Amino acid sequence: MKVAGEKILIIEDDDNQRLLYREELEELGYRVIEAANAEEGLRLVEEEKPDLVILDIWMPDMNGLETLTRIYDMNPNLPVIINTAYSAYQDRFTSWLAEAYVVKSADLSELINAVQRSLESRSKEKKD
Amino acid sequence: MQRRGEVLTLILAGGVGQRLYPLTKTRAKPAVPFGGVYRIIDFTISNCINSGMMRIYVLTQHKSITLDRHLNEMRSIFRPEFGEFLETVPPQQFIVSRWYAGTADAIFQNIHLLEEERPKHVLILSGDHVYKMDYRVMLEWHVSKGADLTIACVDVERKEASRYGVMEVDNDWKVIGFSEKPRNPKPMPNNPDRCLVSMGVYAFRTETLVKAVIRDAKRQTEHDFGKNIIPELVETADVYAFPIRECLPKSMHYWRDIGTVDSYYEAQMELLEPSPQFDLFDNSWRIWTRIGQQPPTMIRGSKCSIQNSLVSPGTFIVDATVAHSIISYGVRIEEGSDISESILMPNVTVGEGCVLRRTIVDEGVCIPPNTMIGVDDEADAKRFFITKQGIRVIPVGTIFFEPPR
Repeated sequence: MKVAGEKILIIEDDDNQRLLYREELEELGYRVIEAANAEEGLRLVEEEKPDLVILDIWMPDMNGLETLTRIYDMNPNLPVIINTAYSAYQDRFTSWLAEAYVVKSADLSELINAVQRSLESRSKEKKD
Repeated sequence: MQRRGEVLTLILAGGVGQRLYPLTKTRAKPAVPFGGVYRIIDFTISNCINSGMMRIYVLTQHKSITLDRHLNEMRSIFRPEFGEFLETVPPQQFIVSRWYAGTADAIFQNIHLLEEERPKHVLILSGDHVYKMDYRVMLEWHVSKGADLTIACVDVERKEASRYGVMEVDNDWKVIGFSEKPRNPKPMPNNPDRCLVSMGVYAFRTETLVKAVIRDAKRQTEHDFGKNIIPELVETADVYAFPIRECLPKSMHYWRDIGTVDSYYEAQMELLEPSPQFDLFDNSWRIWTRIGQQPPTMIRGSKCSIQNSLVSPGTFIVDATVAHSIISYGVRIEEGSDISESILMPNVTVGEGCVLRRTIVDEGVCIPPNTMIGVDDEADAKRFFITKQGIRVIPVGTIFFEPPR
C-alpha cells in the first residue's frame, strides 16, 4: 500500500491517545492533524479538508455519533473511522454511516488496516 | 401470524405532485379528496388499519398542512395506550440540513426513528395509490421467502408499463431484473402483452433497508427507491416479488396509481360502474376516513333527479339533475342545475341553472348561477384548465368575476 501523504484528522479527547496515533500514522507517511473535542474537529473538517477522520465517541462536548452526522452533512464523501472503547455503539444505525468501526486496543493494526482500506477504496472510487 | 410490533410502517407522502396540478396547488397529493368522503391517503391507511399495522409514520414535506389536518382527524382511530400511533414526520434536519432529496433520502433522514423502534421489518408505502391489500399476507410471504426486500407487484398492459418499475422474476418469484420506467419494458415470460410492475409497496428487513439508504446517501444519486435502491439490491440481496393476483383474493386485485388528473378522474368514475372492481361498500374491508360531523343529505323538490352517483352526507340538492357524478360532503346544488360525469369536492356551491359536464370542481369553489362548463370547448379553453382527455378543472380559490349570461 502506497501512502501519498494523505491528511488524517484525529478527533479524540485523550491527549495520550492522540499522540500515540500521530506517531504511528506519521511514521507510515500520513500527515496528521488533531482536535481535542468535537467542535474543534468540525472546524478542522471545514478548514483543513482532511482525507479521513478518526473519531472517538465519548467526548465532553458532543457525542461522536452526532459529530459523525455533522461531518456527513459537511462532506458526505469524507470517510470516518469510529474508534471507541465501547463495542455497544456498533448496533446504533447512525454508526453505520462510518466507513469502519474499530474498538480501541493496544494493538493499532486493526485501526491502521481500516485507515488504509478506506483510503484505498476512496481513491479507487475516484478513479472509477 | 400477528406481526404487530415487529413491523413499522412508513408512508411516503412528501412528493410535489406536479402531474396532478392544479389539484395539488394547495395540498400534497395524498390529501386530495377522492370518492366523496375520502382523501387519497385513506386507502393506504385503511389497508394498514385492516391489516393491523397500527404503528405508522407518514413522511410529509410539500404543502402538508391539509394532510396534517386530515391525519389529525384520522389519529382518533389509533389507540396510543396500546402502542398504536399515526405520526407525521416533516424533514427535521436531524442528520442533514436539507429537505428530503428523494424517497430513499426521506428514510435515511429518519433512521433515528428506526433506531428507537428497532422493528424486524419495515413496510414502506406510498400515500397516493388506490388499492386494497392485506399487508399481513405480504409480510408472511416476505418472511417465508427469507427475503431482504419484497416488492408487491401487479401485471399491466405492456404499453402502460413504461410508467412504472418493471420487474423480471424467476420461477420462485425471485426478482432477477428491475428497470425503472424503461422505454422498452420486458414482457412476462408467459404473456408477451403484459409486464410485471412494482406497486411501490415494499417490505424490507430493517437492516437491509438501513444499510441500503446509508450507502445511497453517500453517493451522487437521485436517492430514489425505484431508480437507485432497488436496482442495486436486486444485484446484491434477496429480493422477491409479491404478485397480488396470485396471492390475494379477487377483491384485492385492483390497483391505481393516481398519477395525473385524468387517472384521478378515471379512477373515480370506475367507482360508479354497476359492479365496480374497487368496491367501497365491501364490509370486509372498510375504507376509513374522518370528515367531521355532517348533517344528513337533503334532496328537495319534485324535480330532483339523481342517478348512478355517490352522494355524501351534508349535501343539499334542490330540484337539480345529477348523473354519474361524485358529490362530496357539504356541497350545495341549486335549482335547475344539471351536473353529469363530474366530481364536486367538499363544500362546493353550484348556483341555479348551471350545467357541468366532465368537470372537477375543487374544494370550496362557488360556481355562480347559469355557468356552463364542459359544453363549449372553445369558450372553456379560454377560461379553464383542461386535461388531455378534456376534463375541466376548477381549482381551489377560483373566483368567477363575471358570470356568463
